[in-house]
Amino acid sequence: MMHKLNTGTVVALLLPLCALMLVFFLWPLGLVGWTSIYDNGLTLDGYTRVATSSLIHKVMANTLEISVIATLTSLVLGYAIAMHLARMSPARRGPYLVMVMLPFWTSILVKSFAFTIVLGNAGIINQFLQWISGGSWHIEMLFNRAAVVVGMTNYLLPFMVLPIMASLLNQNRNLKFAAEIMGAGPLRIFTRITLPLSLPGVFAGVLMCLTLSLGMYITPALLGGRQDMMLANLVDFYTRQTLDWTLASAIAIVLLVFSCALILMLIRAQRNQEAAN
Amino acid sequence: MMKTRTRKQSRDTRRAWARLGGALAWVGYLFLLLPSLIIIPVSFGGGQELAFPPKSFSLDLFIQFFNDAGWWTTAVQSAVVAVATTALSLLAGVPAAYAFSRSDFPGRRALEMLALAPMLVPVIVLGLGMYMHLAAMQMVNTLLGVVMAHTVLVLPFMLVCVSSGLRHADPALETVALMMGASRLRIFVQVVLPQIRSSVIVGALFAFLISFDEVVIAYFITGPDSTTLPVKMYSAIRWEISPILAAVSTLLTLLSLAICLTLMALQPPKPQADQ
Repeated sequence: MMHKLNTGTVVALLLPLCALMLVFFLWPLGLVGWTSIYDNGLTLDGYTRVATSSLIHKVMANTLEISVIATLTSLVLGYAIAMHLARMSPARRGPYLVMVMLPFWTSILVKSFAFTIVLGNAGIINQFLQWISGGSWHIEMLFNRAAVVVGMTNYLLPFMVLPIMASLLNQNRNLKFAAEIMGAGPLRIFTRITLPLSLPGVFAGVLMCLTLSLGMYITPALLGGRQDMMLANLVDFYTRQTLDWTLASAIAIVLLVFSCALILMLIRAQRNQEAAN
Repeated sequence: MMKTRTRKQSRDTRRAWARLGGALAWVGYLFLLLPSLIIIPVSFGGGQELAFPPKSFSLDLFIQFFNDAGWWTTAVQSAVVAVATTALSLLAGVPAAYAFSRSDFPGRRALEMLALAPMLVPVIVLGLGMYMHLAAMQMVNTLLGVVMAHTVLVLPFMLVCVSSGLRHADPALETVALMMGASRLRIFVQVVLPQIRSSVIVGALFAFLISFDEVVIAYFITGPDSTTLPVKMYSAIRWEISPILAAVSTLLTLLSLAICLTLMALQPPKPQADQ
């Protein structure tokens, strides 16, 4: 028997949440939308500039490229970690999970700062290169696209591991045993059974990582150079440097629309998975 | 004879593949831990230059951190913001999660989705909106503004945690308590709350750490009087690379580790994923 609350109680319990959401979430978002079309009168100027500016197109291409590469790198490493974790007994998995969860909980500033130490000119890798080469080798590793991808992959990995691990743990082990008895090799078992059955988890992880990376601000700002700006950095640039709030808001709305599309796909995928279970 | 050999062969290939996958997984683990493995030793190296491996052991950088009012006051402000955010999100989130799980009204799903949205909207968009909104209300550069923004940001995590706790709580107990004449408030405090206690603690820890580490929104809406630790860190990494950063990073990593271990102790890993 389901215990139900009466209407008055429900309204009272939901009131604080609704008030907060209205004043500090919907209102600010609405303000971004309004600012993007209003500048002393209704205008589509912001969107026209988004559609025509070659700088903004370049930044969009950057954003897409960096997001896709970082997501794919996370997928490869994340899948290996998820399989490694899923194969263990639950008791043994604990300490290994800490290795995934601690970075998940570590501030992105700490991680970015650590990478400036690792990749920098006086960093560990360059010190090592100079040491083995007697001072002649040196690679520029910071403030470029590779550094952004490394930093972002590090941030995204846990978000990839968790959903894939969940879908691997959900698989019926007997399918694998049956395939083994029938003589299938490990590669065949992986491509025919493990991988297809884990696709919902892969899909969820990929969409999650893409959503997160589209809006990434800190990593490109600290590890990238000028040519590695992403959309979020551009929003900040127009808000703070040129005080062009109309354009900043228009870019923010474009970013929001892209993210919403990905999120809707994610929700649909998860609903399908629930239906399948 | 033939048969045993093929079986041995297939076992060998299986092991080889498992080893390859395991090696790749270890590359992943090391990559994940790399930032912490670097930053902690560096912070104990002391001195003016950050070096790895550290040349000597000293607590210099930590002493510098606690002697520099510019640093530790921002840490105190961050702690104040995080505690206030946690309290507010508990006050708004726990009752809401209870209402969602024990009622059914038109638009409930839509409202639930709305409440989860701040988790998925890019923070930069929220930061920009909050900046313009607070500017209109003359609340930029106030800690209250940061608290309100962070509360909205952490509410989805609170709702998810508490709702999952409520799903495992038995509603029949509440019905019985109601029939025995207990008041709504008493039912909630004495019957529901004890059953969801660990979920509420998990939600509170989430809220605290997310708020304490949040930088993008805070960077938009804080000023000289309301700088939080992450904002100070962000500017320091960007403009000066002070060695104190290594000490701050180590302290933040230890905080994350403490919270991470508490969380894992509170929710023992289940053999099956929670659906």
